[in-house]
Amino acid sequence: MTTRLSLNAISKAYGKADNQMVVLHDISFSLNAGEFLAIEGPSGSGKSTLLNICGLIDHATHGDYYLNGAAVSQLNSSERCACRRREIGFIFQRHQLIPAMTVYDNIAYPLQLNNVKAKQIKHDVAQLLTAMGLEHRCNHLPYQLSGGERQRVGIARALIKRPQLVVADEPSASLDHRHAQAGLQLMRELNQTYGASFLIASHDPLVINHCDRKLTLLDGYLVDPA
Amino acid sequence: MNWPLIALRNILRDGTRVISTLLIIAIGLTALLVGSGFMLSTYDSLQEITMRTEGHLIVIDDTPDPLLGGSHQQLSLSNWQTIRESLWDDDRVLRVLPRARFEGVVSKGNRSAVFFGSGVDPKEEFRVHGPFLRTTGVLDPWLTSSQRAEVMLGAQLARTLDATSGDLLTLRTVRSNGESAETIVRLAGLYQNGTPAIDNHTLMVALSTSSALMGSDNVSQLSIYLDKKEESAALQRSLQETIDGVIVQSWQQRATLYHKVKSLYDRIFGVMAIIILTVVFLAITNIISLAIYQRRSEIATLSALGTRPPQIYANFILEALIISIAAAMLGMLLAYAISHAINLAEIMMPAPPGKTEGYPIFIYISWPHYLVTSLVLVVVVILASLLSACRAAKINIARAIS
Ligand SMILES: Nc1ncnc2c1ncn2[C@@H]1O[C@H](COP(=O)(O)OP(=O)(O)OP(=O)(O)O)[C@@H](O)[C@H]1O
Ligand SMILES: [Mg+2]
Repeated sequence: MTTRLSLNAISKAYGKADNQMVVLHDISFSLNAGEFLAIEGPSGSGKSTLLNICGLIDHATHGDYYLNGAAVSQLNSSERCACRRREIGFIFQRHQLIPAMTVYDNIAYPLQLNNVKAKQIKHDVAQLLTAMGLEHRCNHLPYQLSGGERQRVGIARALIKRPQLVVADEPSASLDHRHAQAGLQLMRELNQTYGASFLIASHDPLVINHCDRKLTLLDGYLVDPA
Repeated sequence: MNWPLIALRNILRDGTRVISTLLIIAIGLTALLVGSGFMLSTYDSLQEITMRTEGHLIVIDDTPDPLLGGSHQQLSLSNWQTIRESLWDDDRVLRVLPRARFEGVVSKGNRSAVFFGSGVDPKEEFRVHGPFLRTTGVLDPWLTSSQRAEVMLGAQLARTLDATSGDLLTLRTVRSNGESAETIVRLAGLYQNGTPAIDNHTLMVALSTSSALMGSDNVSQLSIYLDKKEESAALQRSLQETIDGVIVQSWQQRATLYHKVKSLYDRIFGVMAIIILTVVFLAITNIISLAIYQRRSEIATLSALGTRPPQIYANFILEALIISIAAAMLGMLLAYAISHAINLAEIMMPAPPGKTEGYPIFIYISWPHYLVTSLVLVVVVILASLLSACRAAKINIARAIS
């Protein structure tokens, strides 16, 4: 089985030498292609920080990070940008929709960034909108949606380009049971059809139980589940 | 993706920011347009004065007088009649006016004053000056009566002599051979243009009168008036080639006041323009930086999704472009309204140096000029937003999102 992602002694510290605050200590784990991995842990334990590093939107202070076998911790900012654009789907803890874009445009945007043809975009977005129960919302702006609807748009935006790695920070936080199920269902389909791997930070037992494996973070340390 | 629509939504999201930006650009543009409109109309009227007093082209004799320290003799152009006739068939030429300069003393009874006189074509001379030389109390027909020689006096010179229309005056002068000569003329009327040098010291007689007085048929210059001033350079070249023994000057070579005022105004206006553009630049930089700070989470999201930095700037620049085009339209309308109102109100300017009277402010309104100035301002706004947007790309994504 191929390794999608592998972390080797990753640590993250904020602040300067004498006033340093270490929020991740010596984290090592790997994620296989097609695997669902849950990260759980209390608030402030470093879940978002870890996911940001895995999603290439933050830098580790020490340690190595390999994505599909490539040492991505060495990449410069434009290479990281290209890598995020092509290979990573990010579901943010707070939906982070673009306020001036409609639901449709928010979801279509990652495809456009990857120069997908307009006809293909139209087809894919329509399909995903239906699957997420958002078709009647497609021309609305984010402020016109409920929190749960926004979160679903955020999930759709991360999944639309069928990325190899999806990093999801509390994807079910503002979703009811039915929509959380639908979201997980979509992730599973993506996983089974395209072999996408999922790294999900969550407190939600529904999500955690759905995953193949879980890791627990406590005060920045990875705790052995045993 | 409809980027202009997205930009428009972003603009409308932040009303106060947009209104302040719009006003800064619009007011800056209005100031530039009204200021430069005033400047251009001043240049125009100074050009017009020079062209009307001197003619578009001036023909003088090319032999300098050694006694006058290299400057030209007062009555040295002898073949002027031939030159004048040769120009009659040229469609570009409206009028060819001879002018003979002479000096002396004018007196009425026991009052006398030094004068600078011109012998002119009596029928045509006063048609070319237009509003720049006003005549008063003119007896009709003036200067043309064959029985008696007549004179027109600068208004202030007449006051010095205590002369009124119909009075008889004596002109005394010295001919080039050293003989003194005098003649009696009747005061036909007064003229005035607000320049003390002219109003206080000059007079005009018919060319026939001055020729008789000076004992010479020569003139000092021929002033050529054209149908279109744009044709003067071409005609100047061809005349210079075809007529021997003369120098053909253009009005620009005679326009000392125009050149002085222009270089002064150009500098004043240049400084003003730089100040206005700098203020606009700084204000826009500030406003855009603030907008970028407020929208850092959105910028971080775009970047997290893999948007290249230039695409992120492009959104801000598009917004700045939309705002600045709207502001340019507003500024042009404001400038038009203000200029028009000032022109209608006929507000008087104080007398400029060398003049005794003020003149009404006139502000030039020309759409090509408006468009070019607006374009300069839009470019400044785009540069300012580019500068601020560059900083947006250096944002720390993780921090901006949390
Ligand atoms: N920029 C920063 N400077 C200093 N400390 C920070 C910074 N960002 C995060 N932290 C700290 O890092 C720790 C981990 O934060 P993180 O957001 O990863 O927690 P989390 O597990 O995602 O929590 P939650 O479940 O509430 O989202 C926290 O103690 C937080 O205070
Ligand atoms: Mg978190």
